[in-house]
Amino acid sequence: MSEPVLSVENLSLGYVTPEGTVAALRGVNLSVDPGEVLGVAGESGCGKSTLAAAMIGLPGPNARIQSGHVRLGGRDILALDPGAQRRLRGREIAMVFQDPMTAFSPVLTMGAQLVDFQANRDAASGREKWRSARDMLARVGLSDPDLSMRRYPHELSGGMRQRVAIAAALLMRPKVLIADEPTTALDVTMEAQIIHLLRELRADFHCAIVIVTHHLGVIAELCDRVAVMYAGEVVEVAPVDALYHAPRHPYTRALLACDPANITQRAARLPTIGGRLPDLRDPPSGCAFAPRCTMATPRCRTAPPPRVAVAPGHNALCHEVTP
Amino acid sequence: MTALLDIRDLRVEVAGGGWFDPAGRGRLTILADLSLSLAAGETLALVGESGSGKTTLARAILGLQATSGGTMAFDGKPLAEPGDFRAIRRRTALMFQDAAASLSPRMTVGDAVIEPFAIHGVPIGNRRDRIAELLAEVGLAPDMAARYPHELSGGQARRVGVARALALKPALVIADEPTAGLDVSVQAEILNLMADLRARHGLSYLIITHNLALVRHVAERIAVLYLGRLVESGPTGAIFADPRHPYTQSLIAAEPLPDPRKRRADLAIRGEIPSILRRPAGCEFHTRCPLADAICRYDRPTLRDLGQGRRMRCHFTDTTTKGGRHELEHR
Repeated sequence: MSEPVLSVENLSLGYVTPEGTVAALRGVNLSVDPGEVLGVAGESGCGKSTLAAAMIGLPGPNARIQSGHVRLGGRDILALDPGAQRRLRGREIAMVFQDPMTAFSPVLTMGAQLVDFQANRDAASGREKWRSARDMLARVGLSDPDLSMRRYPHELSGGMRQRVAIAAALLMRPKVLIADEPTTALDVTMEAQIIHLLRELRADFHCAIVIVTHHLGVIAELCDRVAVMYAGEVVEVAPVDALYHAPRHPYTRALLACDPANITQRAARLPTIGGRLPDLRDPPSGCAFAPRCTMATPRCRTAPPPRVAVAPGHNALCHEVTP
Repeated sequence: MTALLDIRDLRVEVAGGGWFDPAGRGRLTILADLSLSLAAGETLALVGESGSGKTTLARAILGLQATSGGTMAFDGKPLAEPGDFRAIRRRTALMFQDAAASLSPRMTVGDAVIEPFAIHGVPIGNRRDRIAELLAEVGLAPDMAARYPHELSGGQARRVGVARALALKPALVIADEPTAGLDVSVQAEILNLMADLRARHGLSYLIITHNLALVRHVAERIAVLYLGRLVESGPTGAIFADPRHPYTQSLIAAEPLPDPRKRRADLAIRGEIPSILRRPAGCEFHTRCPLADAICRYDRPTLRDLGQGRRMRCHFTDTTTKGGRHELEHR
């Protein structure tokens, strides 16, 4: 087994708010192997975007790390000073955001920004940086890269902007690419094209990709392994085929069952999960999913659930799952 | 049965304007000769990518967008003059795509749901009872009435939007991307709510969306738009089982399925929807169509009746196999 390129170890993170500290991540353990595509699935508020931000060392000003580490190639990036963190970003790890409009400055051309992103490439001249940016735009499928370099962000369509954002993230050939809801703002046709592009790029650049999304279809299309999050915890980790065909955690099962795309027969009523996420200012002592779970027993409400290994690389955080 | 909403040959054009054409002599066609009808109690889904004219059509139906040709009628009465639209506005309602942003941040949920009564000067009776009644209708507790929009979750904001749309007991609800941006479990809740309300009040829905998984469960009929032109329409089941227009086929094929065993190796559709500033000649879809032939580049296909309530706009009769296509005899 090769060394993971990125590993999150027992990470707990809280957001300080006037109403108390919100426990956004609670003891998360997750690792990403070189060249692997890992999907992080879950509903709004489950902590998946917080995890993505923590992976790149940008958890936000009101975030407090309560315990744990994020190791990137052996270094604990949360412990590094801001300058050292900044030097890792781009070169070692890069990020693609949901809304590519806000990822770029509206007052500079795409070309100027793509050259700026290579500021750490000390040996390269401005002309070389321009050329590698242009080549990367051609690689991500922009039909006229020279023209696109001279455009401002608002002159490109959403799909084109997302392609440029991916090109920008790959410019420095990072080992890990983190994509937070990369297709959520796009039409289905653009979504299919971005999925296809990420697949090709992974083969070309051998970088590991972490896809954070609530869209189970995107994960099924793209990922090797999936981590399902609920209320700040990873409740199930599995190879992609096992997750969709032999899910073990009741939350994963409920999530798959209520996806309208999973129901091909026309149904008058769709299954729902019911209930709400627990208040993470005061996390429950037992299983966080117990109040919404159909399998819950009294034990689930009081004792924290164990992590049960059900197969190699497949585990679930649940009292009721048996190996 | 007469249609609740009947649209014939609707055209929406806007002035070109801009730097080179300040007088707006050039006209841009947003919707081109669109005909649709919606029966009472029916749900029709308008499907297409961004820029296909779905939202413009909704705005035109509500009188918020000037039209430049064609006729519209609601419940048998023509919609032409501004007064006509005002008269029907009590019987139509719009559910906005961004539910939280469509609510005033300074109005409580209770005030927001009964605002339509004030706007239309409808006697309201007991305010408190009416608020509780409307909130109960969409499955919200009465104490939600005192909340402000920023205190709501995405699903709750969507429910408030539904309550507001239903306040005056409309006959037609136009829902613009009713589940965009919601989690799957909340999506299912909103769709169930819409189905319940339809059964209870006999509503008709016009659903505007690019989410095909949603359409399959709620709509009886689908109309697919491409660059403001209807390319295919028909019953939902028939279209999903046997999509005939190459654009409909690629839309269905592009939808990512939540099953890793059904991964697609190839891309269903390439390129992007062209800008309306550069509307392609001939068939608008020819720039992205896998079947496109010489004829598609200069000759615009007409909408053909395929029987069983299906219509399709393509030169080819057999669009299901790439090799076995047959050109329609050209007049």
